[in-house]
Amino acid sequence: MKKHILIVDDEADIRDLLAQFLAASGYRVTAVASAMEALRIGKQESPDLVISDLQLEDRDGLEMIAELKEAHPEQLVILLTGVLFDPDVVDSVLSAKVACYLEKTSSLAQILEAVNHLLGPPAAS
Amino acid sequence: MKDKTIGRVLLYFLVISAILIASAIQAVRNINRSAESSDWVNHTHSVILEVEALHAALYVGDGALHTYALTGDTRDQAACSEAFSDATEHLEITRALTRNEPAEHAQVLELESLVNQRTAFYQAVLTARQVGDAEKVRALLATDAGRAALLDIRQKINRLKNDELALLTEHDTASYLQAQATRWTVWLGVVLDVLLLAGVAWLLRDDLAARRRAAVAMQVDNQQLEIRVRERTAELAAANARLSTENLERQWANKALEHQLHYHQLIVDSIEDLVFVLTKGLRISRVSPAVVHLTGLEPKALINQPLSRVVRLLAAHPAANAPMIDPIAQALKDGHELLDQAATVEDKHGRKTAVRFTLFPLRDGDKVVGGIVALRVSPAPGETTT
Repeated sequence: MKKHILIVDDEADIRDLLAQFLAASGYRVTAVASAMEALRIGKQESPDLVISDLQLEDRDGLEMIAELKEAHPEQLVILLTGVLFDPDVVDSVLSAKVACYLEKTSSLAQILEAVNHLLGPPAAS
Repeated sequence: MKDKTIGRVLLYFLVISAILIASAIQAVRNINRSAESSDWVNHTHSVILEVEALHAALYVGDGALHTYALTGDTRDQAACSEAFSDATEHLEITRALTRNEPAEHAQVLELESLVNQRTAFYQAVLTARQVGDAEKVRALLATDAGRAALLDIRQKINRLKNDELALLTEHDTASYLQAQATRWTVWLGVVLDVLLLAGVAWLLRDDLAARRRAAVAMQVDNQQLEIRVRERTAELAAANARLSTENLERQWANKALEHQLHYHQLIVDSIEDLVFVLTKGLRISRVSPAVVHLTGLEPKALINQPLSRVVRLLAAHPAANAPMIDPIAQALKDGHELLDQAATVEDKHGRKTAVRFTLFPLRDGDKVVGGIVALRVSPAPGETTT
């Protein structure tokens, strides 16, 4: 059975490109634009991984992740954002909240590598 | 089936048919000959029987004649007449039977002459006896060759019989040979046909085997072709997937870059200070919205213009006639900052606004590639000129 990934990003192009790439890589992907929609799906379906932007239109991404983790403490989350954190402190600041931090300037191959690292290789179709 | 095989099979069947027809014709011809031979044998046996009957009738008639000559009994006369009548009848039949056989017919004619002599003798004796001329009867009987004549007839009948029997033997031999020839013909035809049919079967089997081999070879070729097609399809699918991934990567990189540029623009635009980005030649490459707001000049009127077009540092104590060294160019050249310097900004109407000037060299590694100028509108008393 394919692993389920929830993508949360208010930029449609970014969201669609990432969803298309991860689906082609063998994952079941659900892509939403808002934190509210992400919380609804995250709580109902408990996806294997959430990839979220930091700045969402309706809410701060880290707040949304915190609420999601209240329902599912073991929820794996990748924070994928264009907001550049200081690399020297990003681990200490974000490691308690997310499993992985990636900049949007990361390549898709790097993103897939991080996903595979967290979920293992996708199931053969 | 190959055309060559079809031709061979047809040829074989033609030969088989020819042999069958030839055998049938030969067999029918031999059967006809056998039928004819059977007729001839019957005919020959009839001749033999007739001459045997003739001989017997002559003996009976001759005996009856002598008895009648002695007794004068009419019954003996009747028996004699009947016997000679039978003999005449058998002779006529024999003559008729041999009329188409010259050699036998000649012998029958000789026999007929002797029989006629005996018949004439019989008539003479009978006549003499009827009239009661005993002397003449005695004289006739005394001069009669009698047994010798009958023996002569007997010899001729035997010769004719032996000739007929010899012919029968010849016919038997011929019939036997003919039957043998028929048997050989039929069996030879059967054997040849069986051999030819075996040849046809071998041809068909060979052709079927060739077709099976061709089918197997074609199947192997098809399988290899399918394998190659599958491999090629897999290669194309992999190449397509790789291209799709590369395309997604490019699109992602473009979007990420756009996002970052937009983010940086937001950062710059959100600063209240007037920000100028300079090239090493002190030309403006980028301005913040605050610059546009204060100067009333659109970015396109500012970009690529020298900074001195709108910003001027105010020298604290300029020496008279001292050579003018641009402190901004010097700071960029030396790679150090200029902090909180007094300066003015001129708007599009020529009005000047006092600002505090700060310059940060823009470094790329060890090299200074430009500068950032930040102006804060907070004029100190007496530093604003109009």
